[in-house]
Amino acid sequence: MIVTRKIALRIALILLAAVILQVSFLSYLSILGATPYLLPVVVVALGLLGGSMVGAACGFATGLLVDSVLLQPLGVSSLVLLSIGYLAGRYREGLEISSSLTPPLLTGGFVLLGGGAFAALQLLLGVETPVSLLILREIVVQALLAVLLALPVYPLVRRTLRAALIDDLPPRRVLTPASVRRRSSSGSRSAARGRSRPPRVGGGPRGRARRVGA
Amino acid sequence: MYRRQVRRRRAALVALIVVSLVLISLSFSEAESGPVHSLQRGVAAVLTPIGEGASRALKPARDLVNWVGDTFDAKGENEALREEVAELRSQLADLQADGEAAEQLRGLEQLTSEQALAGFEPVTARVIVRSPTVWWSTVTVDKGSSAGVEVNDSVISADGLVGRVTEVTRGSAQVTLITDHRSAVSARVLPDGPSGVIEPEVGDPTDLLLEFIDSDEEIERGQILVTAGWSAGDVASAFPFGIEIGRVTEAEPAERAAYQRVRVRPFADFREIDIVQVLTSQGSESPGTGMSGAEGAASDVTSASDAGSEAEG
Repeated sequence: MIVTRKIALRIALILLAAVILQVSFLSYLSILGATPYLLPVVVVALGLLGGSMVGAACGFATGLLVDSVLLQPLGVSSLVLLSIGYLAGRYREGLEISSSLTPPLLTGGFVLLGGGAFAALQLLLGVETPVSLLILREIVVQALLAVLLALPVYPLVRRTLRAALIDDLPPRRVLTPASVRRRSSSGSRSAARGRSRPPRVGGGPRGRARRVGA
Repeated sequence: MYRRQVRRRRAALVALIVVSLVLISLSFSEAESGPVHSLQRGVAAVLTPIGEGASRALKPARDLVNWVGDTFDAKGENEALREEVAELRSQLADLQADGEAAEQLRGLEQLTSEQALAGFEPVTARVIVRSPTVWWSTVTVDKGSSAGVEVNDSVISADGLVGRVTEVTRGSAQVTLITDHRSAVSARVLPDGPSGVIEPEVGDPTDLLLEFIDSDEEIERGQILVTAGWSAGDVASAFPFGIEIGRVTEAEPAERAAYQRVRVRPFADFREIDIVQVLTSQGSESPGTGMSGAEGAASDVTSASDAGSEAEG
């Protein structure tokens, strides 16, 4: 991802909108006993699209923002979200995203990991009251809901940041020797008809096949 | 070139982790008036109006989604309510048979409604922001210090006790719910039961635990709990006496332990709180407590931990 000032602004707006939507709307909902958690979904999407540093920075900023809005102890959400953003980015840098189902499933996995990390961190920091086993249900259901949330969120984030995505440049036709021969032969036929256009050459190095889901 | 890039990336990651850890440390160790907390309140003051606007705009959508969910839950709830009605009929029969107990209960209920608000100026507020995680059960309301709301004010809903104000900005206040793990409320079992401390069980907002109840105390399912509102000298509970908290769902007599564990279902539905009342102490000299003398001394068993937790939470 090429992060220009304009793209950074777009990312900031995405994060702000996600935080507002989370605390003003999604946190009020209870689906199968759990609250849909949009923030890690957005962070994972940004990590998968922008790489490890973008994912980590966005996770950190999102955590800081949500903790500030809710007047909660700072740092815990930041640490968890930056970790899953970084891991999502590392996945993108090391492995190919070969299917359109891969991002939602990865999101579910990372949210599950994040939920576990959040619980572990809370227990390390000290919880004075008993902890119900229902917390496990909450973590698992949140991960499942994250898979569903990622289905629209990932394409939406990708579309918003399309201008910055190297892999999302408009697909160009790749010139192979066979296609050049076809072009030149059709060109000579057109020239014979008196309305020829010179055949385009070049563009090969710039042309890249679109990577599915990348 | 590539190595330098990797080094720079690692350094940035380590820096972010270190900053997070420093923030965690400062959040727990710094005084409320410290720079980090002040900055946090400043950010909250800026973003709260946006959250408030979004909350109002999205309320119809929220209601729609919750309505769909409620409809799915209605069938199971119907059966549960039938069982509850049968149980209540049985209890009513018992109460009618025992006129004296019923009279006492009625008197206490009256006391509850009168004393809960005596000496307090209720400020009606709307919930505008809610925490998404069960580890921190907090909500933000749209009334702050400009409306007279102060830290430690009790917050109630139409159903019962909700929580306590723990942070205040000019236009908003953070309410820590009684389902938050930092919360502890001294409570009393009605009509004439013992006092204990209500604590949550993290992860289950529909279940509270009543702790520090002696094993030989007799507590029955269906008994109602209210805030104990103790006071001992200069120290007093943050909650006034008599605010309804919930109903006992299960009491496990412990054979070997000194205390029994009592489960309580709160009256307030914490997932669907929309309008609350903050009991501000405007015009009153001190928080009203309905207990004194022997009753106050009786709750001293829990006062140390209760005061600590309430002050801390």
